[in-house]
Amino acid sequence: MVRILFRFSEELVAKPTTAEIILEHKVPINIITAHVDSKGGEFLAEVPDEALETVVKAFRQRGATVTLPELIEIDKEKCFDCGACVSLCPVEAITVAEDYSVNFDKEKCVGSTCSACVEACPAGAIESVKQNNAELANNALRAKRKTNNETV
Amino acid sequence: MEALKLSSKKNNRTIEKINQKIRTGDVQVLTSEEMKKLVESSSVEVAFKEVDVVTTGTFGAMCSSGAIINVGHSDPPIKIERAWINDVEVCHPGAAVDLYVGATAMSQMQPFEYGGGHVIEDLVRGKEVELRTTSYGTDCYPRTQIKTSLTKDDLNQFYLLNFRNCYQRYACAVNSRDETIYTYMGKLLPQLRNATFSGAGELNPLMNDPDYETIGIGTRIFLGGAQGYIIGEGTQHDPKNLNGTLMVRGNCKNMLPDFLKGAAFAHYGTTLYVGLGVPIPILNEGLAKKTAIRDEEIFTNVVDYGVPRRDRPELKKVNYKELKSGAITVNGKRVRVSSLSSLKKARDIAGTLKSWIENGSFYLTSPVERLPRDSVFKPMRQTEGTPFVASVMQAAVTCYENEEIRAIAERIVTRSVNHIIVVDDGNRLGGIVTSWDITRAMAEGKTALADIVTRRVVTAKPDEPLEAASRKMAQHNISALPVIDAERKVLGIVTAEDVSRLLGR
Repeated sequence: MVRILFRFSEELVAKPTTAEIILEHKVPINIITAHVDSKGGEFLAEVPDEALETVVKAFRQRGATVTLPELIEIDKEKCFDCGACVSLCPVEAITVAEDYSVNFDKEKCVGSTCSACVEACPAGAIESVKQNNAELANNALRAKRKTNNETV
Repeated sequence: MEALKLSSKKNNRTIEKINQKIRTGDVQVLTSEEMKKLVESSSVEVAFKEVDVVTTGTFGAMCSSGAIINVGHSDPPIKIERAWINDVEVCHPGAAVDLYVGATAMSQMQPFEYGGGHVIEDLVRGKEVELRTTSYGTDCYPRTQIKTSLTKDDLNQFYLLNFRNCYQRYACAVNSRDETIYTYMGKLLPQLRNATFSGAGELNPLMNDPDYETIGIGTRIFLGGAQGYIIGEGTQHDPKNLNGTLMVRGNCKNMLPDFLKGAAFAHYGTTLYVGLGVPIPILNEGLAKKTAIRDEEIFTNVVDYGVPRRDRPELKKVNYKELKSGAITVNGKRVRVSSLSSLKKARDIAGTLKSWIENGSFYLTSPVERLPRDSVFKPMRQTEGTPFVASVMQAAVTCYENEEIRAIAERIVTRSVNHIIVVDDGNRLGGIVTSWDITRAMAEGKTALADIVTRRVVTAKPDEPLEAASRKMAQHNISALPVIDAERKVLGIVTAEDVSRLLGR
């Protein structure tokens, strides 16, 4: 699965774009967070690796912007394992280990659609980091390889 | 009885005997977590026999901290009147060139990001900082301004001088409001969606010697990675309510940045995280028992920080074991809870202090005076009353959602108000409509009230301080707040005009 951020203009929000693409390509797109306001909308979704190319193409054809979400990064040099971020994370991507270390699971992070932890870090150790768009395909490849490795 | 007392006295340890054992390398030291395990697996008697010293530790945001520094005299000399280090204003509490860097003072260019705590950390790290000073000039101190760069090596004295550290325990914070709030207890999500706590629980120094038998003035401690001293009880020391505090001092030039960290709480301010550990000599069996205290025996209250008052509502009692588990139950709801102080560092400090004693680089001291065990923490004497929302609240002009916009417009004119509150049959808040909304609806040709109602309404409670209500209006750029009770029934309205009439702004 690859996490992708889809953005829609105000006009596109009114159309059942996502439903159409799911039906047309029979892809199980898993929407994680969604947000709509007067300027348009965006949603973060998990797309299966093998359908990534098709899905990205289909959304782009319909006028949506497709990017990788900004994810948070914790600078372990600055982090002093307090835990101020832990209870703020809605998806439990940040947890406290047995030895009281603060652990971060990037796979669970919903990134820029949330970022609740970023401003709350007393150490200033958390940053929302842009994922390079040009690497979208590479990332998908890497994700694929990783999945393969895990299954082997 | 008498014989028993005598014999137990004979078996008692003394600080001198412990120091002798440190010298010969025979001292038995456990961290307070290890002590608890030993007592659990054997007994208090065995633990007393085997253990000489128990080490404790805590690493938390300690706002009432700072450093006293002496920068030396310039030529020609200056009597500093105002001074800034890295753009953070520092105090000039004494004569010419003594400065106090307060942890919570904030940078003027980067407020809420960089402050006194960061200045102290940067100096401890060996970084160069910029000092800027101004003065009115005197015959003996003619200079009126200086700008220079300094490192800790250039300072004559650089001492941490913290007037309140090491809170014995602290409240667990939640927020009942409909909006996120930013506090010294961190970011608190609306409607009790998260909770934060502070303090090391069973690792806290004062929890391991709650009667101040061994902790007193002159007790040598771990402070910021170096050896420091307790110089008295901290301000707001409240030992009878298990809210004891310490005043401490230590030489920053020997400290380590790992145990002294500048920090910033978003929209609240800056502070300093301080690492502090106290060795507890096990002088008698009572101390062996006391140092075996467990997290489940240490209770604190879940407090609603959504209420901006001194005495905030206490929602329930919890113990530190529950707090450290990651989730508590409040009002029947699971609330995720996390620590603001670092439990990992607290453990690290207790372990480091243990190794210092074991390798003979740290000796225990006998306090020269005990700390007060019966002092009380009084609230401020206030000679002027504080206005609350209830004191300026007016009756609200209301309407129902099925009314026509035209009818609302008439009401605005006849009652000469700017805000109409939409209520249901039970007088519960449904929304708010302003004269501006009506004007816009007219311009856009809308007739149904439902299309123009603002439903996410910022509200006030009658017992809320007027200043808090005023702050809310300014933050949301609005001019009135419906006043509601716990069932969201409308009690009245408070407007910006009413507030400015009373507060004069």
